[in-house]
Amino acid sequence: MSQPSVSAAPGETIAVNLQVNGTSHSLEVDPRRSLADVIREDVGLTGTHLGCEHGVCGACTVLADGEPSRACLMLAVQADGVEITTIEGLATDAGMHPVQQAMHDAMSFQCAFCSPGFLMSTVALLRDNPEPTEAEIREELSGNLCRCTGYQSIVDGVETAVQLMGGKSS
Amino acid sequence: MSSATTDRQSSGLGFVGQRVKRVEDERFLVGEGKFIADLNHEGMLHAAFARSPFAHAKINSIDVAAASRLPGVVKVFTGAELNAVTNPFIPFFTVGGLYTPLYSCMSDDRVRHIGDPVALVVAESRYIAEDALELIEVDYEDLEAIGSIDAALKPGRTQLWEKADGNVLGEFTDTFGDVDEAFNQADRVITKTFDCPRQSNQPMETRGIAVVVDPTTGHLDIHSTSQAPHFKKWAIAAMLVKDSTAASLAKFARNSERRSAFLAAAKDFVAANKEKMAQQDNSGMVSQLKKDPSTMLHQLRMGAGLLAADDYPTVMAADIGGAFGSKGPVAREDVAVAAAASELGRSVQWIEDRVENLLDGGQAREERFTMSVAVDNDGMLKGLRVDAVLDQGAYTGFPVAPALIALLWKVYFPGPYNLDAFEITSKIVTTNKGRVVPYRGPWANETWARERMLDLVAAELGLTPVEIRSRNVMREGVSMPDAFITGPTIDETMSVAKTFDRALEMIDFDQLKRDKADAEGRGHRLGLGIASYHEAAPGPPNFFSSVQPGTDLFVYEDGRAEIGTDGTIRMFTSQSPHGQSHQTTYKQVAADEFGVKMEDVEIVWGDTDRTQFSFLGTGGSRGGPMGGGVMRMTARELRQQVEKVAADMLEASVDDIDIIDGNIHVAGVPSRGISYADVAGKVAADRNITDEPAFMEAMKYEGVGNGGWSVATHVAWVDIDLETGEVEIPRYLVVEDCGPIINPGVVDGQVRGGVAQGIGAVFYERTHYDDNANLMSTTYMDYLVPTAMEIPNIEIEHMETLTEGENDARGTGEGGMIGAPAALTNAVSDALGVQVTEQYLPPYRLLELAGVIEPEK
Amino acid sequence: MKNPPFHYHRPATLDEALALLAEFGDDGKILAGGQSLLPVMALRLGPPAHVIDIGTLEELKSIEVSDTAVTIGAMVRHAEAEHSAEVAEYTPLVAAALPHVGHRAIRNRGTVVGSIAHADSAAEMPAVCLATSATMHLASAEGTRNVAAPDFFQGFFTTAIEPNEILTGVSFPAWGPTTSGTVVEVSRRHGDYAMCGVACALDVADNVINGAALAFFSVASTPVRIAEAENVLLGQAPSEATYQAAADVVTDTLEPEGDIHATAAYRLHLAGVLTRRGLAEAHDRIGVPA
Ligand SMILES: Cc1cc2nc3c(=O)[nH]c(=O)nc-3n(C[C@H](O)[C@H](O)[C@H](O)COP(=O)(O)OP(=O)(O)OC[C@H]3O[C@@H](n4cnc5c(N)ncnc54)[C@H](O)[C@@H]3O)c2cc1C
Ligand code: FES
Ligand code: FES
Repeated sequence: MSQPSVSAAPGETIAVNLQVNGTSHSLEVDPRRSLADVIREDVGLTGTHLGCEHGVCGACTVLADGEPSRACLMLAVQADGVEITTIEGLATDAGMHPVQQAMHDAMSFQCAFCSPGFLMSTVALLRDNPEPTEAEIREELSGNLCRCTGYQSIVDGVETAVQLMGGKSS
Repeated sequence: MSSATTDRQSSGLGFVGQRVKRVEDERFLVGEGKFIADLNHEGMLHAAFARSPFAHAKINSIDVAAASRLPGVVKVFTGAELNAVTNPFIPFFTVGGLYTPLYSCMSDDRVRHIGDPVALVVAESRYIAEDALELIEVDYEDLEAIGSIDAALKPGRTQLWEKADGNVLGEFTDTFGDVDEAFNQADRVITKTFDCPRQSNQPMETRGIAVVVDPTTGHLDIHSTSQAPHFKKWAIAAMLVKDSTAASLAKFARNSERRSAFLAAAKDFVAANKEKMAQQDNSGMVSQLKKDPSTMLHQLRMGAGLLAADDYPTVMAADIGGAFGSKGPVAREDVAVAAAASELGRSVQWIEDRVENLLDGGQAREERFTMSVAVDNDGMLKGLRVDAVLDQGAYTGFPVAPALIALLWKVYFPGPYNLDAFEITSKIVTTNKGRVVPYRGPWANETWARERMLDLVAAELGLTPVEIRSRNVMREGVSMPDAFITGPTIDETMSVAKTFDRALEMIDFDQLKRDKADAEGRGHRLGLGIASYHEAAPGPPNFFSSVQPGTDLFVYEDGRAEIGTDGTIRMFTSQSPHGQSHQTTYKQVAADEFGVKMEDVEIVWGDTDRTQFSFLGTGGSRGGPMGGGVMRMTARELRQQVEKVAADMLEASVDDIDIIDGNIHVAGVPSRGISYADVAGKVAADRNITDEPAFMEAMKYEGVGNGGWSVATHVAWVDIDLETGEVEIPRYLVVEDCGPIINPGVVDGQVRGGVAQGIGAVFYERTHYDDNANLMSTTYMDYLVPTAMEIPNIEIEHMETLTEGENDARGTGEGGMIGAPAALTNAVSDALGVQVTEQYLPPYRLLELAGVIEPEK
Repeated sequence: MKNPPFHYHRPATLDEALALLAEFGDDGKILAGGQSLLPVMALRLGPPAHVIDIGTLEELKSIEVSDTAVTIGAMVRHAEAEHSAEVAEYTPLVAAALPHVGHRAIRNRGTVVGSIAHADSAAEMPAVCLATSATMHLASAEGTRNVAAPDFFQGFFTTAIEPNEILTGVSFPAWGPTTSGTVVEVSRRHGDYAMCGVACALDVADNVINGAALAFFSVASTPVRIAEAENVLLGQAPSEATYQAAADVVTDTLEPEGDIHATAAYRLHLAGVLTRRGLAEAHDRIGVPA
């Protein structure tokens, strides 16, 4: 099934339907704007952070159709119809997501600027691999930079999450 | 007086000392932190800087016409336009013999490093602002660039600053003890030069400032990623002063209310600080004025303008995504954006991007040390001479000039080892590079050079690194002096030797031998490195006067505690947290003092309208001892006031009052207790107040006794693949003593984060300028912050030595970074069997040192 | 770091995309996964006037397997190929290369073919194309053509793709049970582009090397295959000594340049070390199911 073709000159906008954390947003966006900017400014969810805007730090990582992706390296127009999950979409009325709870228990973060990326990467990791080894955790999180912690507390947080989610008996 | 300790016990709460989970997480982990880029201000305009692509050039002309015409652009300011409405940066930290070149918020006639700002675009969005940058035409005329310490020291090269002597801005020598005697007496003298290349702080959040202009009053609300909001407030206020000195003074003279208030405050200040002021060394000011008398005119204009001003900006720091020293200084961009907003009468924000941050967001540690050690053949150290050079880049950081780092070296260099004499000469040179800022343990290279040198001396004498340290380290009860040769006093109990001895117990030397053999069998080399140090955290009261007489004037910590009429407890700190978990730890401290739950205490920070002045803000490992200290003392004082009122209300003696979980009662009769709200309500009713606190206590805290030293020994095991130069760190151990720990989870995090930065510094990170001062590492593909794959688990052994002080916690923010480069480079030297004299060791360099490949010419 | 303005096009079909390219020529740029193009644009290094987003073209999203080749379409993401059973079975060198490409989040968006079209000299996939003698499928409004890997990579970020063409897919020859390969590299940090790397393949039967491929990356402006070193291996029994002989030819042949992360001498040294290590690992993988 092919979608109709779309085109916009500089300064023109394109209608985009963004599904963010289960809510649909019909937006008119300038195609040059990044998904991260549109989530932060137009949708108003500022939990997704921008640390480098060139794909290295991972602070902007969101789930796009369930897969961790750099929101700084996606145009918002590329996310038309894609299900986006951000850090704001993890907790429910019942409380924090187990990964959030685990990172809290493990005192994983300091300034926490990097935390959205680590949380989203961890959620995807544990979905695909509920009992990762420490080496697997480190490998998976190596796409996210943290300058404060030295990572050990974050790795602890992932291991705590494994337990909270029933993956491994403690 | 009932001591806090017993209260804590009787209340059964005792938050201090426990691994209490962070209250900050409640907002951060659900994405509700409010970092500077998250503040969504109505009608905010966005700024972007046009920056020099040249390391050193003359600006012949600048044309912003096309950029100004771009739809969506509100205004393009040239450097000259902004410089005309701002004052130059203040050479604040003046040291005898130091010249601080005057510079303004923008460059208008000459650029001195890649990234030097020459124009500022204000537009409706950052996208449009960046579009406009591409339309700005600047005619540059290339000049010879000074790209290295060597080039800066060479006479006759192009000068960055006309009034300087070549490219050396200052040279200072300090001598302690009889150095010639020590060198003449010693069996031998060993000399070596150590080089550390440039690094960068690189917090994950870049810098930013959002200036909100009140359209009617013109008042500026400045939101800033600032470690020291109060200083930023006054600095920006001063630099935005436009009136002439005469006009300001006339205005001040007319304002009798202001005049008398100022004179009274000045009198109080002088009365309180007479002694310290008398100690102040003005030779720096004198040498500065000799070089550039115009300094005085600017200072006077700013000073008079501050006296006359009707209004000062408010500075607010909300959540900050790390800083490591880089967000302490007031940056040129801060002043430029504030001036632009103020000129336009419209709100403007600038969020630095990562490339800008790598260009000029803060760089550090490009330093060279030539060390001569006078030593006897048995390894006993006699004397030390250090010739140090610090490359400060083009513009002198403000307010903490890199010269302060040299002053700290002067105090720290001998470390925890006994010496008869020490002399240090430090030169500050200027090069065409970005701004040097304090970076976590700004002086840390003294530990690196010293601990490296110790291993080198040991090798030359046929001793082991353990032997040379054991013989010279200051030992409690054996060889511990009352004061270091360089001035500051030290309390016996805080000995580095304790951590050193404990570390030795934790190293299995037999296992090490086996591991080394095993590594060789795999074509690898394994080595072990040890490094010890002490840091003033915050140091004894005489620490800063040893650094620079008179500066201890600025190192007290203000704080305030209030209880509202409804019983709400609020603690006001002048600290500006950016990852250190102040909110959690201060709640722990205050909750224990008040006998309440942590959630009953509110911590207020970051808003200059609500908190008291602080020159330093958060930095210098002061958050626990100083910031935490003043929280504890003000809370303790208020509790006593509350107990007095409560005793009346309960018709009991003050001595019998106990408070548990906020229940204020006569000890043993909790069922008949009253609450803080009851007590506050009584006070409010008695005094008939509604909109002021029922209780309030403000305090200046100066620290405790001879304490304040944090000490540690780091041990690193490093495994090097001799075929590829790849490095693994199979074990890393920190034995540290920062006194009684408020929250071990927080302390562990600080230590590990610091060690991680040290690992980065040695194996991954370099702010790489070529010889022509072109910056080669302008993105995160080239400036390599290590990932979870490069940083190992770090073992921490705490030794919590108590002293007599009432607030015993000592700082822990910087130590990790101080010890790590030394331990790691010592381990590399041990592994490869060569004495490493440089701090940055990428794989190719390791193989060069190992003799596997030819060094680059 | 915000993208410059551009004219955005999202064609509904490949033909439409090709028509747009025909119209804009040099001014047009294909946007696939965006993991290289978007950072380049955000840094404002030569922004294109027209961006043609092929992300929704279904005809480019498949991995096709025939008796002789595995063909990866232009919009197949790295992650999809990395986890494809067919890729692992028939063209294991591709499967071996992909985990080295950046990080998971990058591989979730970036495409295999985009990486080949981008032709970064330090990238893994172009070297894999050389080592496997892959075939590049190009299409323009005028028709289609195939280009063999050695003719495809022409210089730094320069390939045989004409301004009016799209690289619609790449075919990797299907390997038999006697052939396998691996990619070994040394990078500064995990996930970084390599300082030096090699894609190598061995065909070994009855303890005799019947075929060999060594394609290096991050040592020159394009990936480099060294036939002289491969010839040293042919007809020999796999052994450390044989590998070392090949490695010696490699270090005699290459003339890499230095940069801030690796000196020329270091790169050359790594090329030799990685030749040995890669060949040994390639040999170990023969007959082992992926
Ligand atoms: C942090 C980070 C780390 C990375 N590490 C690595 C690494 O280690 N190794 C590595 O190889 N890569 C690495 N990459 C790059 C990554 O592999 C890219 O995904 C890949 O290079 C480009 O694929 P893409 O689909 O994203 O292409 P795009 O970014 O969309 O396009 C890249 C270029 O190729 C052109 N192009 C793309 N598809 C076609 C086509 N079908 N026809 C014609 N032209 C086309 C585009 O016009 C553009 O010029 C990294 C990227 C990042 C951000
Ligand atoms: S902001 Fe997207 S990876 Fe850094
Ligand atoms: S907690 Fe500060 S960057 Fe990760």
